[in-house]
Amino acid sequence: MSTRRRTTALIGDDNTVVVAGKSLTWRTLHKLPQLPSPAAVLVDNGADALAALRHHAVHGTELLVATSSRVDEHMREELGESGFAVVLPGGDVTPARLKRVEESGRAWLLTSGSTGRPKRIGHTLETLTTVTADQPPRTWLLPYSPGTYAWWQVVTLSLTQADQGLVAIEPHELDDWPTIAAEHGVTAASGTPTFWRQAIYRDADALASVPLEQITLGGEPVDQPILDQLRDLFPKARISWIYASSEVGASIVVHDGKAGFPRAWLDRKPDPDRPMLSVDGDELVIRSPHHGAGMVGAVHTGDRVEYDADRVLITGRLDTDEINVGGSKVSAGVVRNVLMGHPGVSWARVFARKAPLVGRMVAAEVVTNNSLGPITDADLVQWCSSRLPDYGVPRRIKFLDAIPQKETLKSDV
Amino acid sequence: MSAVARNRVRELMGEVMTAQGRSLPADDSADLRTIGFRSLDFSELALRVEDELGDELNFDAPGLRRISTVGDVLDFIEHLQSA
Repeated sequence: MSTRRRTTALIGDDNTVVVAGKSLTWRTLHKLPQLPSPAAVLVDNGADALAALRHHAVHGTELLVATSSRVDEHMREELGESGFAVVLPGGDVTPARLKRVEESGRAWLLTSGSTGRPKRIGHTLETLTTVTADQPPRTWLLPYSPGTYAWWQVVTLSLTQADQGLVAIEPHELDDWPTIAAEHGVTAASGTPTFWRQAIYRDADALASVPLEQITLGGEPVDQPILDQLRDLFPKARISWIYASSEVGASIVVHDGKAGFPRAWLDRKPDPDRPMLSVDGDELVIRSPHHGAGMVGAVHTGDRVEYDADRVLITGRLDTDEINVGGSKVSAGVVRNVLMGHPGVSWARVFARKAPLVGRMVAAEVVTNNSLGPITDADLVQWCSSRLPDYGVPRRIKFLDAIPQKETLKSDV
Repeated sequence: MSAVARNRVRELMGEVMTAQGRSLPADDSADLRTIGFRSLDFSELALRVEDELGDELNFDAPGLRRISTVGDVLDFIEHLQSA
């Protein structure tokens, strides 16, 4: 067990918090009218989510916060039967159907649900506050959906450290976030690779006008082309990618601008304060001090890895990443990286498609940019043919008009 | 569901070949091995036909037969659509 003392004191209570264009502080955020405990607070805006979080931090209540769109009627009933009063946007409260004693200080997260129905994972403010070292003064963009692990990471940093301001972005502001970020002097931003790709695709000049010193990527496999594009736009910024999940917390943090992590990080000497990384077959296994409740020990992440010289690349989900084409296996993540290495491609999704004779074929959806003029599927096939084995070349390529993005800022690549 | 005409299937076959940097000869008796039309190409052609049909082809119905020429491919796809 760790002996390092963690602090979750509200050192950042006077940090600036910008919500809906209004500049406040954590302390001056509005108070929610009534907040029982345990409570599942379903919100339709970032300000309410931040207010619920601060209430939890001050009073040590048991809290689950999520956007109302992520919690359907069935899940609301389940929450009620598990002892949560459900607080709806606007303040109406559905009392808990099960009366129980609160777990003081418990914070519940819902997994993204990308591998099925969202699961509830128990944390505390302490296990969610993974950045404990002093940080340079920064103003952070908060584009994440309230209640997700990435959202908790950014907001706990702001609430527990001095000089870490926040600029919350509502879903309807996502298309234009660089303008808002530049207006409020955002110097640090965390988002999925899809989020960054969209920003570059929409208006790279607007993005470059944001005075970013810290750029963080996470939540999806991070490929080299997106890291390189961000480096070109922000030559002086620190660019980091993080492997984190509700289950194992923030477990891998890479700052060297390269995709994947050093192979030397696998099977290192045990250190109770540091996540232990290993590979079982093709699967990434993590034993983490930042894990959720009940997840002690090695957690099989379900994420697939491949070795590339001295790096370990995380290519995608184990159950969908490997495509078997007539007995030859190829990683969808590797194919996606090759496609996204094409200068005219802004986004790509690679998947298996049922096909005669060979069982499955590699197919792709792409969004192109105009840097090289019009691009055809033959161009992309040729590009891939010189970089991949025959069976790994996408044979059906669909061109989309825009980069798809879900509420979680992911695109299920 | 309206079938994809034989001529159109031939065009699609030509597109498959072109994407692979090869060309489809006009002669239906051309040998597939000679022109380099392989199982991956055949599978891709089937997907292109399915995309035009908006439906999956039923490969279980007729049983695979010997397919060695361009004409055999066109016959087989035609047969699949009527199965």
